[in-house]
Amino acid sequence: MGEEDLHQLIRGCIKQDRKCQKMLYKAFYGFSMGICLRYAGNRDEAAEVMNQGFFKVFTHIESYDITRPFKAWLGKIMMNVSIDFYRANLKMAYTEDLEKAEHVSDGDVVDKNLHYNDLLAMVQKLPQAYRTVFNLFAIDGYSHEEIATMLNINVGTSKSNLHKARQKLKLMILKADSSANNANYNNGMNYNTSIVAINATNINGVFFNKGIWE
Amino acid sequence: MNNENDNGLDDLFKKKLEDPVGQIGYDEEDWDALEQMLDKRTKRKGLIFWLPIISSAAAVLLLVLGWWNFRTKTDQQHQQIRLQAVNHHQKSNTDTIGGLGRQALTQNPAQTPTQKNPANYAVTPNVNKGSKISNSLLVAGGASHATTSVTETGQKDTTINRADEPLLAANFTTVFTPEQITAQQVSPVDLQKKYPAVLNAVTHITKNPAAFRPVYALSVLAAPDVNGVGSFQQGKVGTNAGLLFTAGVSKKFTISTGVLYSDKPYLTPFENYHTSYQFQQNPINVSATCRMLDIPLNIGYQIYNKHQNKLSIGTGLSSYIMLQQDFKFNYADPYAKGPSDFNVPNSSGYFFGILNLNATYERQINSKVGITLQPYLKLPLTNIGYSEVRLQTTGVAVGLSWNLNSLSKH
Repeated sequence: MGEEDLHQLIRGCIKQDRKCQKMLYKAFYGFSMGICLRYAGNRDEAAEVMNQGFFKVFTHIESYDITRPFKAWLGKIMMNVSIDFYRANLKMAYTEDLEKAEHVSDGDVVDKNLHYNDLLAMVQKLPQAYRTVFNLFAIDGYSHEEIATMLNINVGTSKSNLHKARQKLKLMILKADSSANNANYNNGMNYNTSIVAINATNINGVFFNKGIWE
Repeated sequence: MNNENDNGLDDLFKKKLEDPVGQIGYDEEDWDALEQMLDKRTKRKGLIFWLPIISSAAAVLLLVLGWWNFRTKTDQQHQQIRLQAVNHHQKSNTDTIGGLGRQALTQNPAQTPTQKNPANYAVTPNVNKGSKISNSLLVAGGASHATTSVTETGQKDTTINRADEPLLAANFTTVFTPEQITAQQVSPVDLQKKYPAVLNAVTHITKNPAAFRPVYALSVLAAPDVNGVGSFQQGKVGTNAGLLFTAGVSKKFTISTGVLYSDKPYLTPFENYHTSYQFQQNPINVSATCRMLDIPLNIGYQIYNKHQNKLSIGTGLSSYIMLQQDFKFNYADPYAKGPSDFNVPNSSGYFFGILNLNATYERQINSKVGITLQPYLKLPLTNIGYSEVRLQTTGVAVGLSWNLNSLSKH
């Protein structure tokens, strides 16, 4: 989408024109959903958070400074609503770490031929507290100090959560490798069935304050 | 080694998850859900927009009905008081008149309401016109005159509006019972002694015509005030001007509403400024100017009212309708990169988001015009403006109030 087209859409959104809102939504659906999926535990949760983000965008569109990149502004809002969601579910987020994950050998996990959906599923399987810190640090590039302020936690907690998140992800990658031959990759978003099953375990694990892995 | 491995892991996820182009398919159901949210908001916004108008209309309706109710009561009270005064008067007359008067009046209870009224109408004008009272009383001593008066007005009765007929009839019956009249033993000399009492009663009526008469006033206000976020430490002076309509709903209570144009500048440390925009370098503070319409809805309670001086205290809620917001960002580093200002031209409303506390001193210059002095404090119940600050205001409003009742004839 060209700069001028985007500005025209934004002007329409300022006038609360529903068609322009839908066009903007469609144009940035993939980008926004990509952020929310990383922070959320599953697709439904991500869609809910993303819609909250777009609701904020449409109701505060007049505060958008047109000279700034829209994508960055939108991305920031999506990240903020995701963090708000994390804060709202803070009680659910505390999970005792599994010591099993502590002693993963530092095998080379980087070269594995893993697809977007696999990696996303792994991140989504992380407990919310680990996932949020991992996203902010590893993908969005925030420092532990910044994360501590954003999430209202200690710097030490942020570091610890990142470490645990990495351990868990390594474990998952290694496991994925062992079952790679049986993997059945789907394109697009058609992974709902398998993810839902995994997430069901995940939610129960978190809820009963048990380990979620194995 | 461990660090490198961690970085490798982070990079793997960052590369694949950061911008998943083409990986995520659009789902129409998600848009439907958002559209529902937006529709709900529009409806709610519509309701909020109409809320002040509906409540103002309800308040005006209430005031009109209240005024009507009071007015009707007042008229009735007038009639009753007049009647009592008349009865005093007539009792005196009856005693003086003696047999003839008694005979004439004792017939009244048996008469039809149409026949009873003439007696009232005959004397009522005398009560209103104080100067004629003495004449009336003096001549009332003459039996023949009294009868003539009754007869004459009786004849005129057909031309008089008799809307109040049942009320008068009822009073008449209780006061003019034959037993009461016959039981009284007063000599003609007593009439002279009683005269001042009657006169007092009449004077009392004219001085105190009703228990309460609703008062409407229109005020023009101008107010310098101090605005600050959180406290007034860095307060800046703003200006306000507007119109206020006040209606007295009882002897002590008033309701007032109106519109004030308000120019509120304020200075706040950057921590109080809320925005989703990410500054490369945070400013140290933000100076802002908000132009808005302030629509207050207050109630007042009068604590002092003597001579021409009135003192009352009041509270209520204000709604702000933003017209323009200008922000200026001040950086510690003069070469800092970042926006220097930001303007929000909008008309967003903050309905009933501000608590008003005030005290009003009013001095009547004459029956129509008074001057008012009103120190006030406005405390935010919600965050105000684009920057969502808790903007509080204090000031003193000076105004001229004009009593609208001086227009109406009562």
